[in-house]
Amino acid sequence: MQLKAPEHQVAGHIAKDGKPGPLVDDKGRFFKPLQGDSRGENEVKFYESFSSNTEVPEHIRRYFPVYHGTQAVEGSDGAAMIVLENLLADYSKPSVMDVKMGTRTWYPEASEEYIQKCLKKDTGTTTVSAGFRISGFEVFDHKELSFWKPERKLLRGLNVDGARLTLRKFVSSNSLSDIGSKPDSAFASSVYGSSHGILTQLLELKNWFENQTLYHFNSCSILMVYENESILKGNDDDDARPQVKLVDFAHVLDGNGVIDHNFLGGLCSFINFIRDILQSPNESAES
Amino acid sequence: MLKVPEHQVAGHIASDGKLGPLVDDQGRFFKPLQGDSRGQHEAKFYESFTSNKKVPDHIRRYFPVYHGTQLVEASDGSGKLPHLVLDDVVFVYSNPSVMDVKIGSRTWYPDVSEEYFKKCIKKDRQTTTVSLGFRVSGFKIFDHQESSFWRAEKKLVLGYNANGARLALRNFVSSNSPADSNSTPNCAFVSEVYGGSNGILAQLLELKDWFESQTLYHFNSCSILMIFENESILMKEGDDAPAARAQVKLVDFAHVLDGNGVIDHNFLGGLCSFIKFIKDIIQSVDKRDETDTSLLENGH
Repeated sequence: MQLKAPEHQVAGHIAKDGKPGPLVDDKGRFFKPLQGDSRGENEVKFYESFSSNTEVPEHIRRYFPVYHGTQAVEGSDGAAMIVLENLLADYSKPSVMDVKMGTRTWYPEASEEYIQKCLKKDTGTTTVSAGFRISGFEVFDHKELSFWKPERKLLRGLNVDGARLTLRKFVSSNSLSDIGSKPDSAFASSVYGSSHGILTQLLELKNWFENQTLYHFNSCSILMVYENESILKGNDDDDARPQVKLVDFAHVLDGNGVIDHNFLGGLCSFINFIRDILQSPNESAES
Repeated sequence: MLKVPEHQVAGHIASDGKLGPLVDDQGRFFKPLQGDSRGQHEAKFYESFTSNKKVPDHIRRYFPVYHGTQLVEASDGSGKLPHLVLDDVVFVYSNPSVMDVKIGSRTWYPDVSEEYFKKCIKKDRQTTTVSLGFRVSGFKIFDHQESSFWRAEKKLVLGYNANGARLALRNFVSSNSPADSNSTPNCAFVSEVYGGSNGILAQLLELKDWFESQTLYHFNSCSILMIFENESILMKEGDDAPAARAQVKLVDFAHVLDGNGVIDHNFLGGLCSFIKFIKDIIQSVDKRDETDTSLLENGH
């Protein structure tokens, strides 16, 4: 089994300084190293619970990566890894964006130290102001014919207008690295807007979140993916296949009869941003 | 003649020489403009809201009507102070049960002072604000057995956990005594107050709809007031009985800010959580009534 580093990882941990990062194989599987201090265990616990939870409606399962248990993998010192579906396996040139959802990333049950760390980051980003923050993205530039990924520093300093601009850039064809150019939002309707586009999927998730009291998805992200190959070929039959997935479940807790109002508030705000772009694709963000 | 309002359940109360709101006998409510710019801020909100064409008409019913400001003899004897003049939302009720619920998983907001932030977050974490997205600030209900009002103590209310909040919401629509810790609330009025096409739930859902797209205001630290008439329930005889006239009102706008193109996700998340609590109560009563209708009689 040939394992290699994933090509399009946009957020979260990467292989660095001898510490293991995620890996993918050629059979559509994604291997995620178990994070230390019980976070990895918590994520496994969530996947195990979720996979067998009969209260999760079938149409909602598509928004979650398929879980294949844990496995010790060669070359990672026998450390256990979570085996998941590789969300990008069916895409040849995917644009990907990771958006951390919620007005806060901390939760009452966490340690005081962790809460303070999260609070600081939340107040310094659009988490507090907009209910979500963009953690990372990689987008295909149709003019340069290459992928473009911003520096992490750039993302952390984003304010509300910056987030709006970034969401437009995500579906634009024009030169993305050029800060001065106005994004053309050329693919907004096929990625965000089509009948099975991002917005439709987000609304389906919102519907579930208004009632589900099973889990609180603290610090989870929504991953948005779409295919550029079909757009390049100008193929009408093959659509951009936009997909929404929830990822990163290290901090998920039991819902205990209460809805995940933190995630839901942020999700509704995110939905409004997407809607605004669909309604006015030619407007640039106010500065 | 101005007097202390009878049905105030939360916020500053004008009593024992303290500064608080007053009412007249014409249905007007006078709220003293608080120091440190909060009062002026609230007046500014009312002024903006009243003339804001982007607020849909069907949403205005959820807000108190504003009548400007007026110099009025303050309740603490400190002389004439500017007061906000509003419609007294309980004026049209003779025996109202009232509950004040502060909505949102946080009561602080960006750019507040460090001191205010610390004060707010401490209270948010100690109460159900962080965990549920709302907290019960106060309530008074009419005890149909004792024929008198039962007022929840502030200390009690602030100490609620999720189950406490749930119980309070059940007690709010029950006829049996909340003081009696042995009996479970019978939720006798759940369908007239929470349910129905004009009940609390229907109104909350209308508000939720607006909050999903309105980017005009962020209602930081605002409360939802729930009110209903006990008089009609007391007199109830068959289908001709007057309705409980359950009403939802948003109140307390000292910390409202401009939305700046972003929805009030903090308020909306808490509102959705609150709606789920109300829905659950309605459903649990429906289920109970399906299986055993005689339980209602056993409520005392």
